[in-house]
Amino acid sequence: MILRRGARWLDDRLGAASVARTSLAKVFPDHWSFMLGEIALYCFVTLVLTGVFLTFFFEPGTNDVVYHGAYAPLDGARVSAAYASSVRLSFDVRTGLLMRQVHHWAALLMLAALVVHVCRIFFTGAFRRPREVNWLVGVTLLALSLFNGFSGYSLPDDLLSGVGLRIAYSIALSVPVAGSWLAFLIFGGEFPADQIIHRLFVVHILLVPGLLVGLLTAHIGILVRQKHSQFPGPGRTEHNVVGSKLWPTYATRSVALFCAILAVLFALGGLVQINPIWLYGPFDPAQVSSPAQPDWYIGWVEGALRMYPPWEFRLFGRLVPNPFVPAVLVPAGTFGLLYLWPFLEQRLTRDRNAHQLLDRPRDHPVRCAAGAGTFAFYGLLLATASNDVIARLTRVPVAALTWAGRVILLVGPPVAAAATYVVVRALRDSGAEGVLQVSFAQLVAAVRATVRRRRPGRGARGRGRRRQPAMIAGGSEDR
Amino acid sequence: MTRPAADGHDAGVPAGPRPGAPEGEAGRPVRVRPPRPERRIAAAFALTAAAAVGFAAVYWTGGQTQLEGVLLAVAFAGLAFGLGAWSARLMPQGPFVEEHEPFGSSRRQRAAFAAEFEEDLQAISRRRFLGRALALAVGTLGAALLFPLRSLGPRPGRALYQTPWQGGAPAVTADGRPVRAADLAVGSVLTVFPRGHLEDGDAAALLVRVDPGALRPPAERAGWSPHGLVAHSKLCTHAGCPVGLYEQGSNLLFCPCHQSVFDLLDGARPISGPAARPLPQLPLEITPEGYVRASGDFEGPVGPGFWSRPS
Amino acid sequence: MPQPPTRQPRPGARAGRLRPLWLVAAAVAAGALVQLGAAGHAATVQPAQAGGRGQLLYQQNCATCHGQRGQGTERGPSLIGVGAASADFYLSTGRMPLTEEEPNPERTKPAFGQADIDALVAYVASLDGGPRIPAVAPAAGRLAEGEQLYQENCAACHSATGTGGALTSGQTAPSLAQATPVQVAEAIRVGPGAMPKFPPQALNDPQVDSVAAYVGHLQDSGDRGGYGLGRIGPVTEGLVAWVVGLGLLILIVRRLGKDVP
Repeated sequence: MILRRGARWLDDRLGAASVARTSLAKVFPDHWSFMLGEIALYCFVTLVLTGVFLTFFFEPGTNDVVYHGAYAPLDGARVSAAYASSVRLSFDVRTGLLMRQVHHWAALLMLAALVVHVCRIFFTGAFRRPREVNWLVGVTLLALSLFNGFSGYSLPDDLLSGVGLRIAYSIALSVPVAGSWLAFLIFGGEFPADQIIHRLFVVHILLVPGLLVGLLTAHIGILVRQKHSQFPGPGRTEHNVVGSKLWPTYATRSVALFCAILAVLFALGGLVQINPIWLYGPFDPAQVSSPAQPDWYIGWVEGALRMYPPWEFRLFGRLVPNPFVPAVLVPAGTFGLLYLWPFLEQRLTRDRNAHQLLDRPRDHPVRCAAGAGTFAFYGLLLATASNDVIARLTRVPVAALTWAGRVILLVGPPVAAAATYVVVRALRDSGAEGVLQVSFAQLVAAVRATVRRRRPGRGARGRGRRRQPAMIAGGSEDR
Repeated sequence: MTRPAADGHDAGVPAGPRPGAPEGEAGRPVRVRPPRPERRIAAAFALTAAAAVGFAAVYWTGGQTQLEGVLLAVAFAGLAFGLGAWSARLMPQGPFVEEHEPFGSSRRQRAAFAAEFEEDLQAISRRRFLGRALALAVGTLGAALLFPLRSLGPRPGRALYQTPWQGGAPAVTADGRPVRAADLAVGSVLTVFPRGHLEDGDAAALLVRVDPGALRPPAERAGWSPHGLVAHSKLCTHAGCPVGLYEQGSNLLFCPCHQSVFDLLDGARPISGPAARPLPQLPLEITPEGYVRASGDFEGPVGPGFWSRPS
Repeated sequence: MPQPPTRQPRPGARAGRLRPLWLVAAAVAAGALVQLGAAGHAATVQPAQAGGRGQLLYQQNCATCHGQRGQGTERGPSLIGVGAASADFYLSTGRMPLTEEEPNPERTKPAFGQADIDALVAYVASLDGGPRIPAVAPAAGRLAEGEQLYQENCAACHSATGTGGALTSGQTAPSLAQATPVQVAEAIRVGPGAMPKFPPQALNDPQVDSVAAYVGHLQDSGDRGGYGLGRIGPVTEGLVAWVVGLGLLILIVRRLGKDVP
């Protein structure tokens, strides 16, 4: 009764009834892999909610204060206000440590979910026309989330993250021509400048979240406008969407997912310790702890810095320092490639049609191979970032691990790409149910077919002409 | 327009067993799920309420991180289960179909939009000169508004080329105590700073006493390490991390960030890892009273490389 | 440790040959008592005796590598002048005797009981002196000072969390999880293996007390945030986020959504 009167009250003022009807009746497909983006979204919401709690206690200052609180080894110590307030949050504020840990776990999980979501979009070809715009928005969301994670864990001014900031400063310094200006302007002077924690704080709680909210709204808005893509199947065409209605089914399912994410995050936040800054100690520019790694989503840059050989060169008599290639060019190239991919693929496949139906990954072995090779490359970079931890546990010399890492980085991704191509091709050609059902003979046949196509006279053209974009899906006979 | 799919699934009761449901006798599929999910859903919500009360109680009595986390996790898990089951069992399942028109507006609409837009644009596009003047104004203003970015920091100037170390600067430890040569035995290491500059980020130096006979300094730095006391900048020449690990015996310096290794006996030359330049050395002298002090600044800019760094 | 008896020997048949030895023993025992003070864990050193148990154990277990008189061979360094502190450190952490050849052995179960260790230590100490076993009083140390000194001097190799770290060539700075206060102090003074040494002028005794207290705190303080994951840091945290966190969530999402298109 109240609801009906309330709805009428609103409609008298906003005239929203018909819009509400269409919106609530929108259809979303049910496949579970379409919910991966929602995991990231709800992790973001959790980050905002726990983040607000944290901002009520955190002081983003590098000025010295004396910590007085329950953590005995630091009681009476002169540390920065940022560090003292973080320790206070962890020891002297009720549920403070829980909120801090949930916040940090949510950041790790959000980026993991984002990566898996991007993989789903990539391997099913969901970025194809008309969704290139949403892909661009999404890649920007990924970059911004990555940056916000880095800025967030650097805020407590502890020894581990402070060393990470020093590395970031050196990376800025390594940019040719403008490097020293860039570093001095961003940090506010020579390292360790007083300004950086405060600036990161503003960026972390205001600028980037604002951009994230705006871009997320665009991302979801475009999705709603274009309708969600769907896998081929009975009744599914290029001109419809089949699934559950937004209200009440899909909305309830989505809220259930949000609650499940909160459950996992609170379980992790309460039961598994993360980032014990009181053990790392306050940042001091003359101190360091070993091992020293960033959070996992920055690990690929760290791995690049460790694996890149000691090459420096001079350009016009000026120095291009070592970190420039692994820490500036590689990330720039990574995101450049990510942004360009839909257009690159359009050019390579000559497929400029609009698609509502998704590819099953097996439909496109080349794309799978490219994706697998790239994933292997960045995964290996991440793995090599922990070479000193592996060295300590296995007592293999670090230098040997570094050399092994370099070799694996060069050899691994092409091998992964080739192997993926063969397996996916075999999967497609044989019509088997899943990867495990592919027989060895079918694999060999796929290898033969690949090799045959490589002969002169049968180049890339053959590949392009073969592709028939699916117009009407009639089920599995369309392969 | 949304409509139920042609195979006519209706709201509420799922029309048959899920794929893969076990079969009972005589091949008839057995419904494994309880016929009244409401009880389970209600139980889940009750669990949520109980856990929430538990959390409030734990908080009230002083709080405990693990209990708080587990209770909230259970509370949200109950909600998740209840809502998930509700949406899967008691809400319209569909599948529903929503048709949509192709993306991109019709040709007529596009033409109409283009025509109208062109017409409205005439007011601006016909006045070429004014348009250019506007572009000049906005461009210049935009460029000018970038100038306040300069206020973000000081000019680099000579800051990267020099440190607070200079001739006569006494070496002190992190708590300000002056260092005597006798404080270090062979195989000892201390982090030292110039007096009065304990907070400077580029001032830290590693002071190590090695066996004087083992040192192999280049000719121009022969007198820089009296009695085997040798000092190098602590900042790694790769990415600036403090090179905190000194290995006695092999006399190697190991940077924990990216695993660069420097040979202390050979002018801290990098022998492994991504560092490409040796750690700059600090010339030392010992006063008549036995205190250690610098006789000049480091022999080059400390820390990571930058564009205008001299070789 | 049983003190040698200090009662006066009965005049008579026994007294003649053994009296000088008893006097020496009494003098050394008195000196040892003075040294004990409030030193807590400081081990009592058995008076060195030619032909005593210490020398016997040494000949049986150490002489092959360290030489008959401790002068060293190509397999093991000289022990002359290394002192009780060094011997006690290596023996009580089980690093010596070596079970296999390696430049930097890891901590393991000691091969000898405490009495035998004391005897061996006394024997090594008799080889031309060297640093004594330090007298440590962690209770007298200040945690805050210990934390600061640890961060300045120890964290780079042993990790700020005390879990240890990698060095070059497969060596490691070991975990401090099992280090006793005496072993901490001994290591600081002796600089075993690749570890640098810190003489009293660099770290005085009250500072060593503080460092030992802080190491003890690292061992005893539980992990307030839950399971510590070995206190290794972002590497293990990232693994847990992917395997446990994302793994659970993908299972949940598969349950909530449908598997067929």
